[in-house]
Amino acid sequence: MNVFKTGLAALVTLALVWALNRSWDVGQSIPPLGAFLDPFHGFWQNAEAAPAREENLSLPGLQQPVTIVYDSAMVPHIFAQNESDLFLAQGYVTARHRFWQMEFQTHAGAGRISEIVGEKALNYDRSQRRLGMVYAAQQALASMMANPVSAAMIQSYTRGVNAYVAELSYENYPIEYKLLDYAPEPWTDLKSAFLLKNMAQTLNMGERDIEMTNALKLFGRETVDVLYPDNERLGEPIVDHAGQWKFTPLAIDSLPLAVPDEFITLPPTKKIPAEVGSNNWAVNGKKTITGSPILCNDPHLNLSLPSIWYIVHLNAPGINTLGASLPGAPAVISGFNDSIAWGVTNAQRDLVDWYKIQFRDSLKKEYFHDGSWRKATPVAEVFIIKGKPAFVDTIVFTHHGPVVYDERFQPDRELKHYAFRWVAHDPSNELMTFYHLNRARNHADYMAALDHYSSPAQNFVFASVSGDIAMRIQGKYPVRRPGEGKFLLDGTRSASEWQAFIPNEHNVMHKNPARHFVSSANQYPVDDTYPYYINGSSWEAYRNRRINQVLSESEDITPTDMKELQADNYNLKAAESLPAWLAALDSTQLTPAEQKAFATLGEWDFYNQVESEGASYYEAWWDALYPMIWDEMRNEKMALEFPSTYTTLYLIRTQPTLTFFDIVATPEKETAREVLQKSFREGVAALEKWKAERGKNPAWADYKNSFIGHLLQGLPAFSYHVRHGGNHDIVNAHSRTHGPSWRMVVSLEKNGVKGWGIYPGGQSGNPGSKYYHQFIDTWVRDAYLPLNLAALAKQRSQALTITTLTPAAP
Amino acid sequence: MKFLIQLLVTAAVCALLQTFFPWWSLAVGCVAVGYGFDNGGFRSFAAGFLAVGLLWVGLSAFIDFQTASILTQKINRLLPVNAFLLTGMIGALVGGFASLTGALAAAKPKRKW
Repeated sequence: MNVFKTGLAALVTLALVWALNRSWDVGQSIPPLGAFLDPFHGFWQNAEAAPAREENLSLPGLQQPVTIVYDSAMVPHIFAQNESDLFLAQGYVTARHRFWQMEFQTHAGAGRISEIVGEKALNYDRSQRRLGMVYAAQQALASMMANPVSAAMIQSYTRGVNAYVAELSYENYPIEYKLLDYAPEPWTDLKSAFLLKNMAQTLNMGERDIEMTNALKLFGRETVDVLYPDNERLGEPIVDHAGQWKFTPLAIDSLPLAVPDEFITLPPTKKIPAEVGSNNWAVNGKKTITGSPILCNDPHLNLSLPSIWYIVHLNAPGINTLGASLPGAPAVISGFNDSIAWGVTNAQRDLVDWYKIQFRDSLKKEYFHDGSWRKATPVAEVFIIKGKPAFVDTIVFTHHGPVVYDERFQPDRELKHYAFRWVAHDPSNELMTFYHLNRARNHADYMAALDHYSSPAQNFVFASVSGDIAMRIQGKYPVRRPGEGKFLLDGTRSASEWQAFIPNEHNVMHKNPARHFVSSANQYPVDDTYPYYINGSSWEAYRNRRINQVLSESEDITPTDMKELQADNYNLKAAESLPAWLAALDSTQLTPAEQKAFATLGEWDFYNQVESEGASYYEAWWDALYPMIWDEMRNEKMALEFPSTYTTLYLIRTQPTLTFFDIVATPEKETAREVLQKSFREGVAALEKWKAERGKNPAWADYKNSFIGHLLQGLPAFSYHVRHGGNHDIVNAHSRTHGPSWRMVVSLEKNGVKGWGIYPGGQSGNPGSKYYHQFIDTWVRDAYLPLNLAALAKQRSQALTITTLTPAAP
Repeated sequence: MKFLIQLLVTAAVCALLQTFFPWWSLAVGCVAVGYGFDNGGFRSFAAGFLAVGLLWVGLSAFIDFQTASILTQKINRLLPVNAFLLTGMIGALVGGFASLTGALAAAKPKRKW
């Protein structure tokens, strides 16, 4: 043996194995290539062939056998003999399809993304924890555990998920683990709490206190009231019950507004895009062809893969429900059973406040409150960072909530200490709402179920086989004094804090209204006679009016009509604004391209259909116009917010000479008319450029270029572009990135409830499965899957595959 | 002939090892087979290279066929080179160098390779 040569060869071999067995970060992260490409264990093993016809598994923790029938859409119909087994099986099947997503989303909620992707996520993670997400999830978990029903529910679910985790070894890890080179960890009850708080963050963290405070300082009260009215007074509120609010509201001493003197240069929290919203409605039997109510729901969220929703049918003694569930939480969230159907839209109001804190000294151990020094609680948070030593951050908690920004976080900003008060920090147990809704038989059961619900506040629509329809806006809402909560608040005295919450029975609701339908689309919630002050960061202005118009004009409604309404592309905003814009243009000044655009817009029917070129010209015009008008709001030193779309269009119409129409950067003095002309030119130029680059005409779907991105920052290999109509402010609210994340139509007929649903994704979270994207084409065609509540024998006859779970020997 | 036998034995041993152990177990198998065959450095390298390369490409092609290329297409958008080519090259290189190591360890001194 030649020691040198042998040693050299051995060294090369070892070096190869070492280099190919670890991930590398060379600007772009490279998985451990040996492990990843190995066809015995690597990514190849994630490619799925057709499932076996039958499968028998034994699961620890199960009490009795459970049968799971998957239909051709890979929807599991779970038949259990008791509740504990039902939720265990739900946890197990959901994890089998969606475990990576479940863990990733809860890591995002918990501020643990640096563990997976390294230091680049540290700021995100720190801001999550500094917003009190961990605290909020712990509070929620304590409430769930305090109730034996929800405790059992969540523990069974966790056992089911962990039965799946226990089966994992590298070769059957979901592919994202192999790509990013990390390992799944066991599920915990707390993770389900993180998931719910994640939803609360997406839906109920909207606020603009910093922006409003700056606007008040900069422009004065009168202008603020014109630009940012509390209520834009258009169309119908969700509940119009004028003069019918027969309770005595809780009264609180009024509060003199103490707005901070200085401009606030703190970075505002991440904004909820205006595209986050939803539609829901129910029509009663007077308006339908069958004489039975029909209920519809479509929540609009960021469209991602794996999808936010997972369809599941849960059957056990006392429960038979089907609908969309959230991977990571037990029960059905938006769905129906044999007797009722329900759905949700976001009921955003101002549920966030910032309190200015006066610390005793730089140690920040005490802060001033009601005349004395109160102890602050420092909490050390440890961040594990991939490829780096761990990082420790200390977050100071006051009784208001955590101090988000200080010397340690974003210190280049002015060192002002503000504590963050958020309603989702309070204990609450939403699982009980869904537990009871899933088994509700009538309106009274629905009402009792909603009494458990705090956050994120939602408009719960309801319809029953017995013929009732209802809407209730349910959440934990602080009683607000007029103007309270719009601006930053003084944290040194309890007088400026939330004094009380609106009692459940005072919340906005109605049942069987005279118009024979109920509806909500995130618009202003209630008529003027409602005795509590309401403030929110934005109210929807167009979808809601279109829906109400169609519903009030419709008779003999069929489920197909309702599906068409969910897919309705009528652009009410364009119909209300475009004719006046076109009239305002000086057509003698147009270039040939602009003349052509002018003609296209003149002929457009106001529908944002797939092929509409008018829609592209209109949206490009608006995209140029809106920032051009509000150039005053783009201030590098401080955060300000654009007024709403509706207010902008209203001001163009009614106050065309308002100083805000002047473009600050130009010497001329512009009015609405000049701004329209300039933005038209810009919009057309943008489209001409688009046409030149792509060599085709700007059909709306191509110009919009909607994208359904994988949760890993839209990893192109696992993401899809789709051609679809609609846009924000349209009933079919599909913008580039957001849209109807779940569509459901339920006809509550006496001889059997019929349901249809769809979402833009697929039941499997595995990009190597044909069930990963199976529904996308159906969804793009605005078509639906039948959702079948039938009993086991019937399901069996239509099964794609059947899994029988039996209790594992202890 | 010996070359061909070494190639087949290497592939079989690696397939067996990889059924139970992580991917790098193939290197152990190749060293052992290379040592046992004592087939000269170059030939041993070539046998290991081809054996593992073909084994990996063969199994991935089988999976790809069974699953109608559902994942291969996506991974090809992710990788800078074709997934089969990269899979084959990575497996082959490790197989080749490990077999070479085994052969060199077995070789009598002075023997030319």
